[in-house]
Amino acid sequence: MSVVDALFGAFTVPFMARALLVMLVLAMVAGIVGVLVNLRGLEFISDGLTHAVFPGLAIGLAVGGTAGLLPGAAVAALAAAVVLTWLDRAGIASDAAIAIVLTATFSVGVIVVSRGDDYAGELEALLFGRVLTIPPAEVLPLVGVCAVALVAVALTMKQQLFRAFDARGSRAAGDSPWSLDLVLNGAVALVVVAAASTIGTLLVLALLIVPGAVARLTTQRLWLLFPAAALFAAVAAWLGLAVGFAGSVGAGIDLPAGSTIVAVFVAGYVLVLTGRQVADRLGRPPAAAAGAPPVTASLAATVGEGR
Amino acid sequence: MGYFERALLASIVIGAGAGFVGALVVLRRRTFFAQALTHGTYPGAVAAAALGVSVPLGAAAASVVLVAVMSTIARVRRQGAQVAAGIVLTGGFAAGALLQAVIPGLPVRAESLLVGSILTVTDADIVLAAVVAVVAVVAVAVFGKEIAFSTFDPSGFRAAGYREWPVELLVLGLTAAMVVSALPAVGAILAIALIAAPAAAARLVVPTYRGILLAAPVIGAASGIIGVMASRALAVAAGPSIALAATGFFVLALGISKLRALPWNRVAIPVETAEDARIA
Repeated sequence: MSVVDALFGAFTVPFMARALLVMLVLAMVAGIVGVLVNLRGLEFISDGLTHAVFPGLAIGLAVGGTAGLLPGAAVAALAAAVVLTWLDRAGIASDAAIAIVLTATFSVGVIVVSRGDDYAGELEALLFGRVLTIPPAEVLPLVGVCAVALVAVALTMKQQLFRAFDARGSRAAGDSPWSLDLVLNGAVALVVVAAASTIGTLLVLALLIVPGAVARLTTQRLWLLFPAAALFAAVAAWLGLAVGFAGSVGAGIDLPAGSTIVAVFVAGYVLVLTGRQVADRLGRPPAAAAGAPPVTASLAATVGEGR
Repeated sequence: MGYFERALLASIVIGAGAGFVGALVVLRRRTFFAQALTHGTYPGAVAAAALGVSVPLGAAAASVVLVAVMSTIARVRRQGAQVAAGIVLTGGFAAGALLQAVIPGLPVRAESLLVGSILTVTDADIVLAAVVAVVAVVAVAVFGKEIAFSTFDPSGFRAAGYREWPVELLVLGLTAAMVVSALPAVGAILAIALIAAPAAAARLVVPTYRGILLAAPVIGAASGIIGVMASRALAVAAGPSIALAATGFFVLALGISKLRALPWNRVAIPVETAEDARIA
């Protein structure tokens, strides 16, 4: 199988075309939301959301079969978004508390699954996803969920950025931090919902974190972060699907599609990180670091050492 | 010893050990780090099974490597600890799943590594956990003063002429060893519950350092017993029910500490306002 065949020919098969469509939409939206997650330092909360969605998926699957996945996950994710926003706001959300909450919700999910008949198979499908077996009827709802997340973020984009860089200024200007946080966490939750029923709960976090991190490495211009993240995510998703297809059909190695996509994301990150380090070592006199645009300086203050 | 008694014994040993080490982790605020460690064990365990070497050894090696990678990424400008942890842990899961797919016929199963299967623990697993727990207790007994000093006053510790990295390395090593020996009971995803929850619960109700080090193992062991019992009584998976039992203790402790903080015998503070003076 030639490279062109793997990159383009593979997607003439209907189920691959469906997977590509869903993954492209999902990756681009996750990339854009991921930039905000990165700027606000919400990675651990996103991790909490991905785990919290799991019982929703499990209960949805137990009640309504495959069709119940999306509604179940949506209910769980939105509830978790409200709870985590509240915990964060009330100042209770220490690392230990989030870790306990997320393992507890995860345990509930595993227990629900373990009551079913095909424990091992179902658990694995929920954890590592089913990219290639998305039913045609689910494509539209999945794209719709992504679109809602994108619209929510786009409408509040200016205020979100203000809050990310100058939380007190944003509050003084009259923006409600509570509702902004809720909108952002809600958007993250919707992305997690769409991703959880495709590439699996364990791997969603890569879609949210990696593109944002790559964008931060490639550019210092604020508005270029968003296209950079979306572009990286789309290309990586496409390559990941192609590699998975080439491996499974061409080389006869049964690569799981979700894990392959995430592996390509991480490999892309490593590539960009190394390139950035090399470029920094070679080309930049120390003055460049001192004269870095204000974006970097204020970010170091707001994002800091994470939580 | 039947399989159930063995599972009960394993849950007590692992719960107590994880609670003890968890107390250090929670007090030193390394929960997020410990979580990345637990997630990093998954690809290591799969790779070790593929190479035919001991699974706990492979898991420990991989988790230490991943933590090293994580702390390197965390120091890059415009990245940070959370980004590093997120990338390392999802990358670890993807690598584990890929390895499992590429190498067919592995003797390990994904779900037993991820959520544990305490009913199939071997005597060697129990011995390993017991050894780790004993080593942890001995280490804390010998270096307890230094650990406490560096935990509660890092800058004072440095100013007094001590170096930080030996203590950090000791705690990190104990955490990694404990995580690896807890794998058979609760698996890679839920191990953090057994480490964080008993210690966090103990910290809420016990005021002293020594008290927390004593209370956390007791809570951990109790979570293990309750979890295994509930798993048999209700026919649910054992790993998650242990994790939920530990969470239950945390919620209980949270309730107790909140109730204790309530002003039970509040005396009204007499404040005389101008309005009162006018009426009187």
